[in-house]
Amino acid sequence: MADFYQTGIITTLHRLGKPSLERLESELVEYAKARPLALVLPALYSEFEGKAMPRIIEELAKVKYVCKIVLVLARASEKEFIKVKELMSPIPYEVKVIHNDGRRIKEIYDTFRRNGLDPGEDGKGRSAWLAYGYVIADGECDVIALHDCDILTYSREMLARLCYPVVSPNLDYVFCKGFYSRVTDKMHGRVTRLLISPLVRSLKDLTASHPFLIFLDSFRYPLAGEFCMTVDMARVNRIPWDWGLEVGALAEVYRNYSPRRICQVDIAETYEHKHQVLSSEDPEKGLMRMTVDICKSIFRTLASEGVIFSDGFFKTLQVAYLRMAEDTIMKYEADAAINGLIFDRHEEAKAVEAFTSGITIAAQTFMENPMGTPLIPNWNRVTSAIPGILDMLKKAVDEDNK
Amino acid sequence: MEGFLNLILEPVNEVYLKFKGFFPNLLAMLTIIIIGVIVAWLVKAVLLKFFKAIKFDSWCDRMGFTALLRKADVWAKPADIFVVAVYWFMIIGFLMVGFSALNIQAIDSLVSEFFLYLPRAFSAVVILLIGYMVAGFLSRAVLIAAVNSGLHYAKLLAEAVRLLLTVLILAMALEQLKVAPSIVVAAFSIIFGGIVIALAISFGVAGIGAARRMIESGGEEKKEERGEVEHV
Repeated sequence: MADFYQTGIITTLHRLGKPSLERLESELVEYAKARPLALVLPALYSEFEGKAMPRIIEELAKVKYVCKIVLVLARASEKEFIKVKELMSPIPYEVKVIHNDGRRIKEIYDTFRRNGLDPGEDGKGRSAWLAYGYVIADGECDVIALHDCDILTYSREMLARLCYPVVSPNLDYVFCKGFYSRVTDKMHGRVTRLLISPLVRSLKDLTASHPFLIFLDSFRYPLAGEFCMTVDMARVNRIPWDWGLEVGALAEVYRNYSPRRICQVDIAETYEHKHQVLSSEDPEKGLMRMTVDICKSIFRTLASEGVIFSDGFFKTLQVAYLRMAEDTIMKYEADAAINGLIFDRHEEAKAVEAFTSGITIAAQTFMENPMGTPLIPNWNRVTSAIPGILDMLKKAVDEDNK
Repeated sequence: MEGFLNLILEPVNEVYLKFKGFFPNLLAMLTIIIIGVIVAWLVKAVLLKFFKAIKFDSWCDRMGFTALLRKADVWAKPADIFVVAVYWFMIIGFLMVGFSALNIQAIDSLVSEFFLYLPRAFSAVVILLIGYMVAGFLSRAVLIAAVNSGLHYAKLLAEAVRLLLTVLILAMALEQLKVAPSIVVAAFSIIFGGIVIALAISFGVAGIGAARRMIESGGEEKKEERGEVEHV
């Protein structure tokens, strides 16, 4: 059982005692009548061939408070798209599958590009953004929840706990991020443990605790892919399309809303999903690519908040981060020892070295081009540039799903 | 025997002579069509580059023409659609000119009918395009005015205006194309007249009380002006 200590400037909703799923779901059914909920699922076709997606479909079929599911299917042929629609058919409420590689959706992407609105490259960020657009165009739902489709330990309790703080009019949060324990026989979540936390804390030391860093440090698992938000937030937030998605999305939440309306919730006892390789040799792959993108996103957000970066700053940051990360390894070693978990200190140190070089690459890239990868424009701007785009998107998706 | 041979050769000779007279026309037709196809292809290529240069697709996106195409489940780029339409229009035009080179009376009249119909088709297209823009503009204006007046049914009102204008524009375009003009005019008159009568009746019925009050207060004011008020 978790403790009840509140960390940081946002609200933390813990798992205390033995919360009843039935009670939670019955309340959600009532609340969702006033605040209908859309569940966005960014998925690859390959995930339907694995173990995770069949379990997720089975669990979602039991859920009674979701208004509709918007599944964005990427890297799928026409045949595979039809097969996915069949696979999703056991779900008793409305399911819309957006075929990312379909003729109509490709034309929608072309429409964005020719009007100077770059939706970025194929990935979770772009898929999620397009799904928000469909939910806005559809106009039936007030709340959007999103989770990944590679969760091997998925249960419908995760969804219920994730949605509750935003769907409930009594709590009235506008954004809720999930967190969970990433522990099996050893500790996972290397990027959060050994990159984000030490980096953010080092940056806090160097920037006199910038409020954004305090906000980011308040999240227990900032890289969690599960969150819930109001549709209004989906209209105004811009999101990155690269691996900086989660951190970039939090930066937008910080920019647009008060931390008092932001919360994080413990959604699962345990969480297991697809693991990424470290790929320390190639910064274009695996966790190294993720490191570079995340660091660029943090640097860019801080720069936009007025923090001045220089070569000297980055050199100091590298040293400060390395020391902080080494200290963190020692803490986790002790934590693993007391809990009888496997802990490979050498592997952890290698990961920190790789992350350090990732920070260096990100710093170089940032100094060369501070604007870096542009964020996907928010939907308010898109509809201003192309007034009929939401109707077009809705038509494309509805025709694909006929 | 010679007479028998003449019987066979005379029709053959006649056909040969007719073909000899017809062949230059056929050749002219084929030449016109081939040149037409080449010209149409060149125009298509030039138009495509031109539209790309002036960002025609982007303009259509902003003006709402692309949304109109998508509503009809047409997913090609507006410039492509326009260019393909011009291309086939030119091909049909050259085919008609080519056929007229055959000097066959039935085809000649068909060709002249086709060319006489072109201005009508052109004006119908112009009516549709301008009408669509005007309908969009007025609908938006009604929406803004209704929202600013605090009407809860602002969107419904704006959509109703758009629908009415669309019906009007379609009727105008069909009338211009001479597609069953009497039916179109009659149908349009019935629909439009029906809507106006319905609005008039509903306004009248709903406004009986207000109208009575206005008339009564107007009468009393007149009486007061004339000094004919009887004080009790």
